[in-house]
Amino acid sequence: MTTYIAQRLIIFFPMLLVISFLVYSGLELSPGDAVSHMISPELASTITAEQLDAMREAYGLNQSFITRYWIWLTSMVQGDMGYSMAGGVAISEIMVKTVPATLELSMVALFFSTILGCSLGVISALKRGSGTDNSLTVAGMAGVSIPEFFFGLVAILLFAIELKWLPVGGRLMPHYETVWDRIPNIVLPSLVLALMMTAGAMRYARSSMLDVLAREFITTARSKGMPEWRVNILHGFRVALTPVVVLIGFRLPLLIGGSTIIEQVYQWPGIGSMFIRSVRASDYPLVMTISLMYVFVVLTASLIIDVLTALIDPRVRLGKE
Amino acid sequence: MTDKNNIALSVKNLKTFFYTNNRCNKAVNGVSFDVEKGKTLCIVGESGCGKSVTAATIMQLLPTLSRIEEGEIIFRKDDKTINIEKLEKNGKEMRNIRGSDIAMIFQDPMTALNPVYTVGFQISENLKYHTNLNRKEIREKSISLLNDMGIPLPEKRVDEYPHSYSGGMRQRAMIAMAMACNPKILIADEPTTALDVTIQAQIFELMEKLKEENDTAIILITHDMGVVAELADNVAVMYMGNIVEAGTADDVLRRPTHPYTKALLESVPVLGRGKNQDINPIKGSTPDPYNRPIGCQFAPRCNWQTESCDVMPEITQINKTHEIRCHKYEQFFEKYNEKRDS
Repeated sequence: MTTYIAQRLIIFFPMLLVISFLVYSGLELSPGDAVSHMISPELASTITAEQLDAMREAYGLNQSFITRYWIWLTSMVQGDMGYSMAGGVAISEIMVKTVPATLELSMVALFFSTILGCSLGVISALKRGSGTDNSLTVAGMAGVSIPEFFFGLVAILLFAIELKWLPVGGRLMPHYETVWDRIPNIVLPSLVLALMMTAGAMRYARSSMLDVLAREFITTARSKGMPEWRVNILHGFRVALTPVVVLIGFRLPLLIGGSTIIEQVYQWPGIGSMFIRSVRASDYPLVMTISLMYVFVVLTASLIIDVLTALIDPRVRLGKE
Repeated sequence: MTDKNNIALSVKNLKTFFYTNNRCNKAVNGVSFDVEKGKTLCIVGESGCGKSVTAATIMQLLPTLSRIEEGEIIFRKDDKTINIEKLEKNGKEMRNIRGSDIAMIFQDPMTALNPVYTVGFQISENLKYHTNLNRKEIREKSISLLNDMGIPLPEKRVDEYPHSYSGGMRQRAMIAMAMACNPKILIADEPTTALDVTIQAQIFELMEKLKEENDTAIILITHDMGVVAELADNVAVMYMGNIVEAGTADDVLRRPTHPYTKALLESVPVLGRGKNQDINPIKGSTPDPYNRPIGCQFAPRCNWQTESCDVMPEITQINKTHEIRCHKYEQFFEKYNEKRDS
């Protein structure tokens, strides 16, 4: 187990390096550069090629691709994330503002969707074929297939505009003082996000649970005269948990990446919406930082999944030693 | 039949039906037998004849789409009698019997143990629910059970997961689990089908030993006639949900009186008779349970079939222990015995 984790950690950093290079190359291949996004459309017809070149030189964009990548890499390693080319703000400052917003939203959604998804899935599996199961299945299918933005807009229309129970969007208002003031703002986006994720987790938990409940060791457990909860939860759910943990683990990057769509719909000032803006503006430093963070979280998440599945299922432990 | 006090379990006219797609499968259709203390009852028959369903019914471990339609399962515990069929399926009383008074061993030890818990944990669950032992005592008992089953290094093995056990060891662990609370009745549903023959012999030896030491009644479900000859005190031959012939091992194996029993015995190759021996497989295959013959269930495959077989034969007592469900048994018995004499 320890050697396995160590192995994973050793390839961790080379992987980060390769992916950062790939992202950098991708940006290089995209049409236009940061300078072309900096000029307002009105100026575009009057500005000369010399002026553009001068601007490129000022930002260091005239250097070769490899040199620029090397400069970015060395400063990144030293902890200098640089400045956003679009606004000139320090990237660290942008991160400080956007990361908590995204974390807040995704953590609430992930937390509720995991608990709700697992328990509804298990209930659905245990009451297979009943009215409860059928309605949960229909709801789950709807949840999986309806696009997030549509669900989000309908929720805004209903709860914010028609019923006026909750605000339309945004995260912080100037007059907000305590944490309690902010709760109404997070309810809608987190609920929409959580319901979407609940549907997926529920479908997964249900099918995994049904699969396990049909296995012979469940009958063995029952033949020992143990109460039903112990048979279903300790013997059934424990084994059914593995695929569900994998699903939830792969959602961890969401914590940092944010749900771009939901953040857009609700004007949530998180990383998701920031990422879209920075890619549009070919804002190299910002895109690089965000994607690097994303890669970091994805790799960490898959490591966590492996450790967790090994903890749940002893057979995995044996296979990897 | 036998002394009432010696009977651990009697099943009377038991019917268990399965319901799927609005059709009814009469998997067990009026089965009666007694199991004596310290004796082995072998239930034999082809696949799908209702052997396993009978076992599952006694434990009330039936799948959701099936139910006990009729009949009685009377379990004698000390001086009390308990009607198992009247207990709630997963209720407290039923759970108190399961694993403690009546225990079960399953066919495939590869899948019957939970892969994510140690063998020790799975044995200890039994003890935890049916005894008052504390944690330390439970652990010691688990180790000594494994030791009794002939598992080497039980102190170490107790903390291992099923995947590091071999097939035979897993079945021993299953038996350890089943025997943990000294059950009055042990139901073994084809316990050695998934194991190779040498292990099979060891497992049966173990079961014999336990039977003698604890006076446990064993219901052994099998389709292996060799096993029956070796272990059975009493034999019940099942076909399509009915017991067609029952009696002591001697009655059934030496003087088979039902054409089906005879056919079963003739379809088994005998070791030592060489490869040119006559093996007579039973013609045809078991009928569709949803489209059964009207009278005797075996009639369409039977060489002795006559018009009278369109009516289901009643159980006839040939002698004190031997009973049979066939119209033609008298003629059959005569002819068979003539053959034997000549």
